[in-house]
Amino acid sequence: MASYRTEVWSDWCPGCGDFGILAAMQKAFAELNLDPAQTVVVSGIGCSSKTPHFINVNGVHTIHGRGIAFATGIKLANPQLKVIVNGGDGDLLGIGVAHFVALGRRNLDVTVLIHNNKVYGLTKGQASPTLRRGEKVKSLPVPNLQDAVNPIALAIASGYTFVARAYSLWVDHLKEILKAAINHKGSAVIDVLQPCVTYNDIYTAEFYKDRLYKLEDDPSWDPIVRDPSEDEEKKAAAIKKAEEWGTRIPVGVFYVNPLKDTYEERLAQRNPSYSIDNPPALQPISREDGSPIVGPDEFRKIFKRFIVNVKKL
Amino acid sequence: MRKDVVLLVGGAQGSGLETTMQVLAPAYASLGYGVLANREYFSNIVGRHSYIHIRVSSSGEARPLYYPADFLGAMDAETVFTHWDDIGEGAFLLYDLGTARMRLQQIASMEPDLRSRLMQQYREAGIEPFTVEKVVEYLEREKRVRVIGLSFTALFDVLIKKHGLSRAQAQRFRSSILIGAIAGLTSLDREALDLGLQRRFGSRPKVLEINRDFIASVADEVEKEYGAQLKLEPAEPKSGEYVVASGNDVVAMGKVVGGVRYQAYYPITPASDESVLLEEFEGLKIDGESLGSIAILQTEDEIAAVSSVIGAALTGARASTATSGPGFSLMVEALGWAGKNDVPMVITYYQRGGPSTGLPTRGSQSDLLFSLFASHGEFPRIILSSGDHLEAFYDAIEAYNLAERFQMPVIHLLDKFLANMVASVPFPDWKAIKIDRGKTLFKAPTGPFKRFPRDQPLADRPVLGSGAITWYTGDENDEYGHIDEDPVNRLVMYERRWKKMEIADREIPEDFRVKYYGDEDAEVLLVGWGSVKIPALEAIERLREMGVNAAYLHLRMLSPLPKRRVSEVLSRFDADRVIAVEANYLGQASKIVTMETGFMFRKYILKWTGRPVYLHELVEGVLDIVRNGRDKVVLSYGK
Repeated sequence: MASYRTEVWSDWCPGCGDFGILAAMQKAFAELNLDPAQTVVVSGIGCSSKTPHFINVNGVHTIHGRGIAFATGIKLANPQLKVIVNGGDGDLLGIGVAHFVALGRRNLDVTVLIHNNKVYGLTKGQASPTLRRGEKVKSLPVPNLQDAVNPIALAIASGYTFVARAYSLWVDHLKEILKAAINHKGSAVIDVLQPCVTYNDIYTAEFYKDRLYKLEDDPSWDPIVRDPSEDEEKKAAAIKKAEEWGTRIPVGVFYVNPLKDTYEERLAQRNPSYSIDNPPALQPISREDGSPIVGPDEFRKIFKRFIVNVKKL
Repeated sequence: MRKDVVLLVGGAQGSGLETTMQVLAPAYASLGYGVLANREYFSNIVGRHSYIHIRVSSSGEARPLYYPADFLGAMDAETVFTHWDDIGEGAFLLYDLGTARMRLQQIASMEPDLRSRLMQQYREAGIEPFTVEKVVEYLEREKRVRVIGLSFTALFDVLIKKHGLSRAQAQRFRSSILIGAIAGLTSLDREALDLGLQRRFGSRPKVLEINRDFIASVADEVEKEYGAQLKLEPAEPKSGEYVVASGNDVVAMGKVVGGVRYQAYYPITPASDESVLLEEFEGLKIDGESLGSIAILQTEDEIAAVSSVIGAALTGARASTATSGPGFSLMVEALGWAGKNDVPMVITYYQRGGPSTGLPTRGSQSDLLFSLFASHGEFPRIILSSGDHLEAFYDAIEAYNLAERFQMPVIHLLDKFLANMVASVPFPDWKAIKIDRGKTLFKAPTGPFKRFPRDQPLADRPVLGSGAITWYTGDENDEYGHIDEDPVNRLVMYERRWKKMEIADREIPEDFRVKYYGDEDAEVLLVGWGSVKIPALEAIERLREMGVNAAYLHLRMLSPLPKRRVSEVLSRFDADRVIAVEANYLGQASKIVTMETGFMFRKYILKWTGRPVYLHELVEGVLDIVRNGRDKVVLSYGK
């Protein structure tokens, strides 16, 4: 089994929830036996976005909020690659929220991990989009005046077809959800609750300890859409479930719809020349002598309507 | 018979002007004439004043536009009012008799500034009251303009009767009035005209038939009444086959030949037409067989467009985006990431009038300095700027080659003038086209890979999925692409990136990057870039005929600027005889030349109205500088 660890030292604070997510990723990749060369971990900016450097697969550590946008180009140009995005809740749901929504609309086969600690850690603890109104974490001088976005409800409304929540300190539980997310065909998101030991004195391990429960422990909970007619109902139930946040907080899989076409499939339907077996990135564009594959004759045929032959008078 | 004819057709946006151009351009090109047509329009969908300015040249080349025009075809009163002084002595004016009584004050769509300026001009010319009729009378009397007054209503009546159309349906054939009149005056070969019609209406036989019939009746009547007074000399074709297309079109075609496999864009004028055309050809199908596929994504914003392009480029796909100023502004952060990470990405950048939304549908060359300096920190980039349609085609291909060969982002600068001008372009020479993928590896040794070896500025570039494992980060990095803030590493890596620029400067031939047109011993040198090339090349011919031996130095690559060659040319001229010609306020290219060579410009011809630099005003501007010693001439012709 390939090793999914690198030699790079992770400079996260001792006790950071990111360690749990990293461990779950390494374990999940190992259990799925992902080919490191065919796997790409893409991230944005922030503590969580350093993750790619610690995993022994291709890593693309990009700019704030844009991990999903980079991943979109990677996946569309070569859909053979497994693409996993890491980012914080500020990264993915604040600055990058347009891309977060767009990925759901497309249902491109990409997995997103939200490292959700409700603060901007690397810039020293400002409020992130998931911190609720009225909350004052350690580094805020005054309580937060903005309402929180609900990542689960937003993901479902945007069109994600695999939506889950996990807890970074329950590494094996997260690992199992992650494996399911990676195996899911379509846009998958896992909102990973994660204590920030340095800046968040509300959402601590202590806070989560007594509140979290697993959805799968409820035998009546079934998040999977098995027929298109169930979709509306399952979505509504999942969104309702996502609103539960108090003495009891659910983790687990909220919604799965394996029936919807991915963007790659939609593209291939419209344009049969596009396929996963022959992805754009790997298609030849030149002949052996370096001349373009679209030579003058091909050009004349493709762009026929722009070409005018001069009439001999 | 004439060597050139300049036509102007105007009307409300959406009134058939585009159709007129789409029919006439291939028709003339099929006879070997050179055609260049520019479209001017407001940022509006239907109703505001728009016009097309066409030059048909028997030289067989698409030659620059100038005023006055030989023919003005007015679809409405506003066109007569607006363009009354754009036509010369003895020109033809076609207008709708039904608009004769319209008053200037009634034209609600006209901008108040123009209306009050026109009132002032009409008063000075003694045109009162301000009616179409009075303007027409003035032109007939004072400028011997030959007026073709037609009752559009009567023409539509005939059409309605003959083909059983409703009035609304008949009005859809209004472009035929313009096409017919032009065909009659220029005695356009009917077979050639038919080819133009087939191209435009071929898929709708009934519409084609009515157009054909209607055009023939107008053409016959006009030719009978006025004679073929604008008949052109037989053409001297420059090619057996022409590509008749806009700048947007030729860039899309170049991208297809250059092997584009991924393009992402967010809609913006005047860039989106390029991506829309690419999308039409996404399957690259020929007789049912596919040569590949282009993944084209309309993204949620420009940030996503450029970011996804970088992602696609990392997989080895030739990847690009097309945008204009406001869109590029949003792409700037990602541009820095690409520059930092040796990513071969292409941004096709169509400049329009700024700042801010400025003149969204008008042209400019005011984003050169922004392209050169955009994004924080320092990193190398190539800036390529095309001077005409043929250059734009080759440059679209070369942009990918340069990006992959030198592993850095390439900004391909064009402007709205070129984007929207339709030209007849000689069929490209495929011998000049090569695909160069540099050190791109599609199969690489497995395991962690030193993507950024300290001693190799241009290293092997295994793509994602090639077998190697690579890391990329926006932070400073070590040889593997992991974050590394060590000062000695920083020193080496920073320099390593800039060394690629030195290599590019050494290896990209100077005669590709800069071209000198004219006599070696010319006394006046025009220095320009982008679509200034189009008027400049004919301006130096005209100036020679007027006793001024001028040459033109065309800057095609602004970064790296071929400074040795540019300095050498500039050193041959007295600084008072070197004129920067640019469609901006600052003389932006001249600033780059000064920065790179130390040469101080003293003379400028500049234009920032959003309208193209016309041949006649450029010639006058040069004469003003040469003969009157002026330092700066600001051009302003055009509506």
